[in-house]
Amino acid sequence: MSEAKFKLLVAPPAIVSSAILVLLFIVLLYYSLPALGEYGLGLLASPTWKPVEGALGEYGLLIPLAGTLVSAIIAVLLAMPLALASVVFTEEILPRGMPRWREAFVAMIDVMTGLPTIVYGLWGAAVLAPLLGDTLYRWLYEGLSFIPLFSCQPVTGNTILTAGILLAIMITPFIYVVVRESYRQIPRTYREAALSLGTTRYEYARIMMGMARPAILAGALIGFGRAAGETVAVALVVGNTFNMPSCLLAPSYTVSSLIANQFANAQLYPLMLNVLVSGGLILLLIGIASNILGIMYLRRVRYVA
Amino acid sequence: MLKRLAALLLAVIASMALLSYAGQRWKPEVLDSVVLHGEGSSFLYPQVQAWSEDIRSSYPWLVINYNPTGSGAGQSAFIKNVVDFAGSDPPLTGEAWARLRGSVVQLPVVIGMVAVVYNVPGVEGLRLDAEVLALIYRGEVEYWDDEAIARLNPGIRLPNERIIVVHRSDSSGTTQVFTLYLHKAAPDLWPQELVGKSPDWPVDYTGRGIGGKGNQGVTELVKKNLYSIGYVEYSYAVKEGLSIALLENREGEYVAPSPEAAQEAAKNALSNLPSSPDGDWSSGFDAVIYAPGRGSYPLTTWSFLLFYKEYPGPKAEAVRTFIEWINTEGQKSVVGGYVPIPEELRSINLKAVEMIRVAER
Amino acid sequence: MPDWRRVKDRIFTVATVLLALLAVAPLFHILATVAIRGGSAILRGGVSFFTDPPAYPGSEELGGVGPALLGTLWLGLATSLIGVPLALLTAVYMVEYRESKLARATRVFTSSLLEVPTVLIGMLVFLVVVVPMGRYSLAAGSIALAIVMLPYTVSYVERALDGVPRTYREAGYSIGMTRAQVVFQVVMGIASRGVAAGVLVGVAKVLSETAPLLFTIGSARGSYPTGPQSLLEPGDALPLLIFQFAQTPYSNWQDLAWGSALLLTLIILVIFTLLRLLFREVKL
Repeated sequence: MSEAKFKLLVAPPAIVSSAILVLLFIVLLYYSLPALGEYGLGLLASPTWKPVEGALGEYGLLIPLAGTLVSAIIAVLLAMPLALASVVFTEEILPRGMPRWREAFVAMIDVMTGLPTIVYGLWGAAVLAPLLGDTLYRWLYEGLSFIPLFSCQPVTGNTILTAGILLAIMITPFIYVVVRESYRQIPRTYREAALSLGTTRYEYARIMMGMARPAILAGALIGFGRAAGETVAVALVVGNTFNMPSCLLAPSYTVSSLIANQFANAQLYPLMLNVLVSGGLILLLIGIASNILGIMYLRRVRYVA
Repeated sequence: MLKRLAALLLAVIASMALLSYAGQRWKPEVLDSVVLHGEGSSFLYPQVQAWSEDIRSSYPWLVINYNPTGSGAGQSAFIKNVVDFAGSDPPLTGEAWARLRGSVVQLPVVIGMVAVVYNVPGVEGLRLDAEVLALIYRGEVEYWDDEAIARLNPGIRLPNERIIVVHRSDSSGTTQVFTLYLHKAAPDLWPQELVGKSPDWPVDYTGRGIGGKGNQGVTELVKKNLYSIGYVEYSYAVKEGLSIALLENREGEYVAPSPEAAQEAAKNALSNLPSSPDGDWSSGFDAVIYAPGRGSYPLTTWSFLLFYKEYPGPKAEAVRTFIEWINTEGQKSVVGGYVPIPEELRSINLKAVEMIRVAER
Repeated sequence: MPDWRRVKDRIFTVATVLLALLAVAPLFHILATVAIRGGSAILRGGVSFFTDPPAYPGSEELGGVGPALLGTLWLGLATSLIGVPLALLTAVYMVEYRESKLARATRVFTSSLLEVPTVLIGMLVFLVVVVPMGRYSLAAGSIALAIVMLPYTVSYVERALDGVPRTYREAGYSIGMTRAQVVFQVVMGIASRGVAAGVLVGVAKVLSETAPLLFTIGSARGSYPTGPQSLLEPGDALPLLIFQFAQTPYSNWQDLAWGSALLLTLIILVIFTLLRLLFREVKL
């Protein structure tokens, strides 16, 4: 096979592979435009969702957008301490004479990243949501209802908070992997310098985490992107109700679960499909922006190291 | 390299052969089977799935698939001619039907009911009419011992407690049936704007209205909150042992939901509907709610299956068999929560069997 | 007087260990629940769990997930047929023409694809494949899944090909091999473990995805794919069945969902173990 033929064999697949993302963007934009034209900014700012069969309804994505942001932020806030603790645990606490435990722990984290999201969702709907609804949420409501976030009486376990907690469980391993990779790249000389100061483990870990800070931010961003885009697991626990997520103990909606529930059914409602596609376009932008920012932070780590 | 490619190709072919063999082996009859693909109403999904399982024992060659994407998806797929049949809670609109004129049949295949449920200790057999219900859901009747309720329930001691009004928080066909009933029976108190799958409940502005997700959510709310009232699909009310209200029907009787009362409503709704499956059923969804006739339960609803009149080759026979079976044997295997359709309706539906033809090329 | 530094250190260590254990604790609860509920469902169903279609909703009988299981296997195969060659050749291009503009663009675009919510890929395929075709099909699902697979497999294979020392290539060229021969015979041979790992990771991802199937395959729960021609027909898959049955109130359908979850988890764990044997550390 000549060089030219070889190139002819491998270049088209590369073009196809890169074209997919471009195509995705163009198609989503194309289908979004009618909705943007009709509703303008109200599409993002209006909380109304009133489908009308065979006539133009009123559609605003404010509630699902807020739900996506709230659930993903809860997820990152909860996942961060877990992921960082796991990094310190495997990198600083376990290795002292227990390599097997460390390997086992890493294997568990790996299994968690690979476990199908639908399995998390099934467990979340059947086990986690009822459990939280009967315990934690009741306590939060009874004890802390003076805080607006916990001021609504929980009806079931399917709430925006459950979605956040389930997402936290799901993204912890991803954040862990991102942070650990950078943590390991911190040069030996820095480590030795820190140790030579006679630091305790706590102080040492703080110094190391300080050096890995860009990676921690990167992990948070990438985790946020994952959480915002997750679909089926969230759809099973978030309650799928148009309800502003101003109280965490009530059901709400996210953009992805709205798409999962309504997309196939949207065709009889004029423009609803386009509205949902614009929601998808926003998700795409969130996903790509958090990824690009995350990668930029990661580059900075390499620079420091 | 070539050897490796050949080995890979062989592996692919072998696994395809293996998978094909498994598919054919697991259900030997699939080789000469006819598959019908349907899509639509998720309310109908468990029933259609049950039928597709049951029909196998009589007609092993008939395979029914059904994708529960919602009535809207079902109708739109049907209009685009990309499915073999569709399931829908409302029938085709008059306009859509006119466009497909003569080429489709629509069959109401199962009946459902919505029950008004309440949680007031010591009160059984509560009687309500649409006007009082409308006032409660408007937030204007605030206490259980309000004159409006007491008037309908002489001899029942009603407590001086505020009413907690429960409705669905998600967009739902159950809500549409409920609000349509209020509008038809009490149009002055419940205007057209308040009819729909998720209306803007006036009672919510009084702070006494709460929303629950799905029938399950409403059921739980009513059970959990003393002095509450709500509406759910009949099967949930029975399964959870909730108190069920008697509702006033068009004849002025107070009727509790029961399979017989629902069949009565369906039977009486027919008087204003076409006597043939290929007619315009667009008013059918309306007609069965608050239907006339003694003993009919007003909060009754039904769901439709939509078929074409022409199918290519063996599919025509399959559709004929399916329709005939649904309206005979199939009515004996109606899943809990649905009600079989009355005799009168079955005989109308069976007329469709003669209308299905093999498409000419 | 207590030594605050030491006390703080102690508290820190204990808290770290507890938090780290808390991070993996859900895994055990999930696996145990899936094993118990799924296991009892499969035991109850016996062989028919793997072969039969689902029984009547709410009936005493269970039925099985035969069509969904077969559908998942067909999807895995068809997706690999589309996705693996595409990913391999793309990775080869990226390594061989490293400095070209296209290679750089491809690297950026495929790695961004990794962060695209998979439900959007389902949306895309619905709009550009399902609607024009006029019907749901396993083939449409395979196209969606191949797009999901692409970035994972590409990044693995690229890294594997990249890791092959220069000297091997040079040796190849020095005995007069063409570029194609060097790449496909020498480099791929040496990197074969990495390539295999990339394919396995891709397959694992694809088998466990739900969102790309929601609007593409059409949950045809009663029909068995009987050959390659069935790819053009609607079909079913295990993750989709779990998603839809988990939302119904019927206990026998819930049991089928748990049984399917166990099957799916086992498939993933087997692939994962294979990967651990090939590679010491795996990122899924």
